[in-house]
Amino acid sequence: MMTPNERMTSRLGLWLWRFWAMTLKELIQLGRDGLLVFAIAYLFLFDTYMAGNVGMNLNNAVVVVHDADQSAASRELIYRFQPPYFKQGGEVADVRTGQRLLDTGGALVVLDIPPRFEHDLLTGRPTAVQVQVDAANTVLGFLAASYSSQIIGQYGFDQALARLGQSASALENVPIVQSEHRVWYNPNQKDAWFMPLSELLVVITIMSIMLPAAAAVREKERGTIEQLLVTPLSSLQILLPKVVAMTLVILLGTAASLGLVLHGAFDFPMKGSLTLFFTVTALYAFTTAGLGLYIATIARNLAQAALLAILVLMPMIFLSGAWTPPEAMPAGLRQAMYLSPLYHFIEMGYGILLKGAGLEVLWDSLLGLTLLGAGIFGFGVHRFRRQFG
Amino acid sequence: MNLRRILAVSYKEWREIVRDRLFLSLAFVVPSALMLIFGYGLTLDVEHIPFAVVDHDKSAASRDYLHRYIDSRYFDYRGELASEREIEPLLADSRIRLAIVIPPRFGERLAQGRAVAVQTLIDGTFPFRTSSSQGYVVAINAAYNTEQLSRYIAARLGVPPATAQAMAQPVTVEMRYMFNQAIRSTWSIASVLVMFVLMITPPFLTALGVVREKENGSIYNIYASTVTRGEFLIGKLTPYVGISLLNFLILWLFATRLFGAPFKGDPLFFALASTVFVVCTTGIGLLVSLLVRTQVAAMMLTVVVTIVPSVLYSGLLVPIASMDPMGQFEAHLFPAMYYADIVLGSFLKGVGLDVLWGKVLALAIYAFVLWTASFLLFNKRPKA
Amino acid sequence: MGKTALVSDAAPVVRVEGLRKRYRKQTAVDGVSLAVQPGEIYGLIGPDGAGKSSLMKAVAGVLAFEGGRIEVFDQRIDSEAAAEKVKGRIGFMPQGLGLNLYPELSVEENIDFFAELREVPQAMLATRKARLLAMTRLDRFRDRPMKQLSGGMKQKLGLVCTLIHEPELIVLDEPTTGVDPVSRRDFWAILTQLLRERGVTALVSTAYLDEAERFARLALLHGGRVLAEGPPQAILNAAPGTLVELAAPAQMEALERLKPHFPDIEAVGGRIRVFVPDGAHAAALERVHALLDGLEVHETSASPPTLEDAFIILLRREQAVEEEQRTVARRTDDPPPADGVAIEARGLTRDFDHFRAVDQVSFSVRQGEIFGLLGANGAGKTTVIKMLTGILPPTGGAGAVAGADMRHAGWAIKERIGYVSQAFSLYQDMTVRENLRLFARIYGVTRQHLDARIRRVVELTGIGKVCDELVARLPMGIRQRLALACALVHGPRVLFLDEPTSGVDPIGRRRFWEILVHLARVDGVAILLTTHYMSEAEHCDRLALMHAGQLIADDTPLALKDALQREAGQVLDIAAAPVLPALQALEAAGMGQPALFGRRLHVLAQDVDATRARIRTLLEGKGVTVHDITLKMPSLEDVFVHRILARERAEAGR
Repeated sequence: MMTPNERMTSRLGLWLWRFWAMTLKELIQLGRDGLLVFAIAYLFLFDTYMAGNVGMNLNNAVVVVHDADQSAASRELIYRFQPPYFKQGGEVADVRTGQRLLDTGGALVVLDIPPRFEHDLLTGRPTAVQVQVDAANTVLGFLAASYSSQIIGQYGFDQALARLGQSASALENVPIVQSEHRVWYNPNQKDAWFMPLSELLVVITIMSIMLPAAAAVREKERGTIEQLLVTPLSSLQILLPKVVAMTLVILLGTAASLGLVLHGAFDFPMKGSLTLFFTVTALYAFTTAGLGLYIATIARNLAQAALLAILVLMPMIFLSGAWTPPEAMPAGLRQAMYLSPLYHFIEMGYGILLKGAGLEVLWDSLLGLTLLGAGIFGFGVHRFRRQFG
Repeated sequence: MNLRRILAVSYKEWREIVRDRLFLSLAFVVPSALMLIFGYGLTLDVEHIPFAVVDHDKSAASRDYLHRYIDSRYFDYRGELASEREIEPLLADSRIRLAIVIPPRFGERLAQGRAVAVQTLIDGTFPFRTSSSQGYVVAINAAYNTEQLSRYIAARLGVPPATAQAMAQPVTVEMRYMFNQAIRSTWSIASVLVMFVLMITPPFLTALGVVREKENGSIYNIYASTVTRGEFLIGKLTPYVGISLLNFLILWLFATRLFGAPFKGDPLFFALASTVFVVCTTGIGLLVSLLVRTQVAAMMLTVVVTIVPSVLYSGLLVPIASMDPMGQFEAHLFPAMYYADIVLGSFLKGVGLDVLWGKVLALAIYAFVLWTASFLLFNKRPKA
Repeated sequence: MGKTALVSDAAPVVRVEGLRKRYRKQTAVDGVSLAVQPGEIYGLIGPDGAGKSSLMKAVAGVLAFEGGRIEVFDQRIDSEAAAEKVKGRIGFMPQGLGLNLYPELSVEENIDFFAELREVPQAMLATRKARLLAMTRLDRFRDRPMKQLSGGMKQKLGLVCTLIHEPELIVLDEPTTGVDPVSRRDFWAILTQLLRERGVTALVSTAYLDEAERFARLALLHGGRVLAEGPPQAILNAAPGTLVELAAPAQMEALERLKPHFPDIEAVGGRIRVFVPDGAHAAALERVHALLDGLEVHETSASPPTLEDAFIILLRREQAVEEEQRTVARRTDDPPPADGVAIEARGLTRDFDHFRAVDQVSFSVRQGEIFGLLGANGAGKTTVIKMLTGILPPTGGAGAVAGADMRHAGWAIKERIGYVSQAFSLYQDMTVRENLRLFARIYGVTRQHLDARIRRVVELTGIGKVCDELVARLPMGIRQRLALACALVHGPRVLFLDEPTSGVDPIGRRRFWEILVHLARVDGVAILLTTHYMSEAEHCDRLALMHAGQLIADDTPLALKDALQREAGQVLDIAAAPVLPALQALEAAGMGQPALFGRRLHVLAQDVDATRARIRTLLEGKGVTVHDITLKMPSLEDVFVHRILARERAEAGR
């Protein structure tokens, strides 16, 4: 028989002892599912790596030309459509063929240079170049149109200056504004800096919702929860270790991803404090795990849990600000976005790692995340307690 | 193939789905909800870019120049800063994305007929937004410069303003946006969302199906009976294909009626191609279900093979054409891309089988491979 | 007898030769050969992990194997395609209580699915369904979702679904495990009837050896091999001996004296049951008495051993039963350390949405007492346990466990009790040791005591060999021992065991009980348990019988049997041939609840002599040869079945 002195005397000690036992249990179970470990490793390492190959810049868009002038001037204009943005797709005999190529996706831009283009330029008569852009995909269409306009505009500007007898080197003596762009944080606008980090933050979100939800639903489905309920464990002691264990796994995966993929493969500049970043990540994982637990209390089986998780996850990912800037969203959704923990997390993630921002700048986002986290997690535990209390 | 046995399996599956009320509702709520939320919330139009200015000149000319930004719908003015030093914290905190610095003697130099350098600082965190912002800045500058130039020409050559204007801008651009005249991202997003939702939900409906029967043992009824592998797999998936097709119709209606996306193609062709796609995506779930031994693993593996590629490689957010070769190669491995082309072709371009047959063929091959692999993996007399 | 000759001449339905099956490193079946003749019930018995399930799956064509050959209906089963050819003539029911059914579907929808899958013609379906539902008494529940059925009903529904296409061969893997005695009788009655009417062949495995007497022939499997094969009598003959029962007030002393000489010994309630390897009763009694010289001994009796005894003897001969160095019979003449009330229930009531699951249940259990809660599946036993352990709040009533009030001190209760739930609920993806560590830590066993304490429960439950194995790979019986070990690791004062031995083989059960008796007698732990094994119920100090949420009896096993004899009469054991027509004749004549036990029949009779004479004339009138009619002590199963049926009849009459 157990004597009283054999038991833990300190209540806190006992609490921690139980907590440790349950956390260890979660880690063991996670490690035993080979496919699950594979999926986690894949998402953290391979997936973030693949994301580095994906970008949203115009990249070798095919330009076909209908050149009705066939002059030196028209050839010079055509010549200005160059990689990396554009790629020459050759000439077509008539506009209809060009449109046909737009239909099939064979070309993104059709440049239509009118007859007497050179003549008009030389005689000082205004002339118009027609540009047809495939705007079915608005991102591409927008970028292609924007770059085409810039090229043609610059060409016209050069022609105008030439006629004034000014060479490009003597621009100083024309009253114009020369815009000097300086892009901060990611000067070369490398998508390989943006996409992998964005993907990593998404993976963290997926993990921290799905893993605790799955672990909790599995206990319900297999009936093991019953064995835990007859032990002197409180709801918090049953749930918290799940979250802590998953958070540990997520932090480990994040560290591996940051070190091997972002820093190793893409030379990502780690400007800010890594300690702060991991603290924020842990806090975030905790917050979203609360959502996962909430899902687990609603779902009776894993199929339900999976669908519920998607319902929560996908809007969080897309309305996080990484794809759609908050300033461009309808007012209602913008409010909802401020409630999304991922929004705060992305702001802080980029803020710390890319911009080198510290607590003095990010304290409000951190406060928001903490409040959200406490609220969501508390609600998850409350629901669980009501269900099994 | 014995139709009666297929029907028996399908009917049983259907009854189980119907009894699981929450699952049944979610099977319809999730696709519609995703469509609605993204349809309204997901916009790739870069507008209302918050910016601040540092005006060291404070002349009428500098104010005139800045007003071109302040009045633009693409920019949101957040105020004037005293010095460059104040810019950095604001950019770091994402309170502004762009800052314009007007040098001293801006107006004076222009009046003297000399060029002036204006600095634009842009937050480079989100590359797409950065390049869009850059595009706007260039456009505003170009317009301003054309005006300056024509005024300068008029003054120097003494020609009338109209002539000066023509001389300052000898070539104009007539931009025509094909298929989406107003370049409204809602249109293309609403139609591509049909693809996106159909890529994500069907695998999640089916991925747990077979593994659940394996976990609880009812798979032995199938093993022990005379129903063939093919009959079982087809019967098992038919209800989910049905649900997904119904969802497809709902999504189609949302895209055209609610979001006003034009549908220019052949409805019959589109419906048939979509059926092939749905068979394909339910097949993904089926294959996952046969590969794994536990439901949790099935769930995570489905995330890996659906959510991630459909975000990155479907062309919804990131145009395939803008990827580098490795990314393009990866995109071709997933069926989402082919169907995205079919969707855009049918909605906005109005093209049909003659143009898109290659994509439909790719999907059909994809579906065939998935189902064949499932057929071969499913064994009624397993080793364990 | 021409028919019998025809049967034995016919080709066997199932022929297994040198079957071998491995799972990764583990050998499951290691060269089994047997043949099942048409029209017989062939039984498979053996300890957990003996290879029964693998053999049955291989025969049903749902498991590939590496060596040997299987022929079913003269079709060699060596590929999926070959198996498909005979699957239409086979019905297979896998192990597990209704696990192969679809919980969300109703009873009728389940049946219809199996019928459609098997392409049963519509016209036939209606009549077959009606007949099978009537036989299983499930017709009232046609529209009820399967998940709301009790365990026994689920298992009967499983049988209906397996039989709906009228297979010629049925393969049933532990069909009665976890099923209450009344449902079990129904189950066997249905099987018997099918055998009689259609001449089906059945291959059945069971963990209840009293059921094994119903088999025409059986094979005892161990370690993937056949240890013995033949009719039940042949198995019995293979282990000749005498079963001696006696009562000794100094029970521990008597056990200690007998154990070195007769290893097959157990304490059943207040009595000792010992197997003496000596066929002659008188000689056997003499040997026992000689050993117990000087001790007070009474109520001595000698009888032929049961199949369960034979089973254990045969396995022991194979050194299959490891000899334990455990000190089960540590000598204590002192009374149990505490004898206060350990569990008290006062008017416990629990309502679910539409019905009352537990209705005004009151009882009390003292420290050191083993209290058995019996009842059909769905009678409310589990609900009572869940309320007492604090998982489920009661609707009404009160209770105290281990000195703490259920309503206020739930926390204190949880720290002082151990609980083994009905469905195995430990972590299957962790090893035995990891599970033990987890629960020890949860209950606050400190680091310095952890290893010692785990070693102790591991020794007690005898799971040392499998400590580092994954639980998922262990057979049911060992899992249950692990569950008990986990429940004991913190040294609880009160144990709640909900069907702890369900699916555990006889050897495992016997060890389980040794442990329980030790805990109760030596450590003074109060034990409340439920079971469907009536042979186990004999071990309990006191029994309570539940029916439809109410307690309908609460007494010692002996008193319950006495009451049965007073109310319903004695049990007559009839040996007659052919036995099936005899059963039919007795049923038709309405003789007291006849039941088939292998080749014998049991009948209840108030007036023994008159009934005996009536049976003789009745059966001989039908051309049945009556070999012998003897009087038997009623078993607790007889008590249980009688009580429940009487209650049901009374309710139906109301």
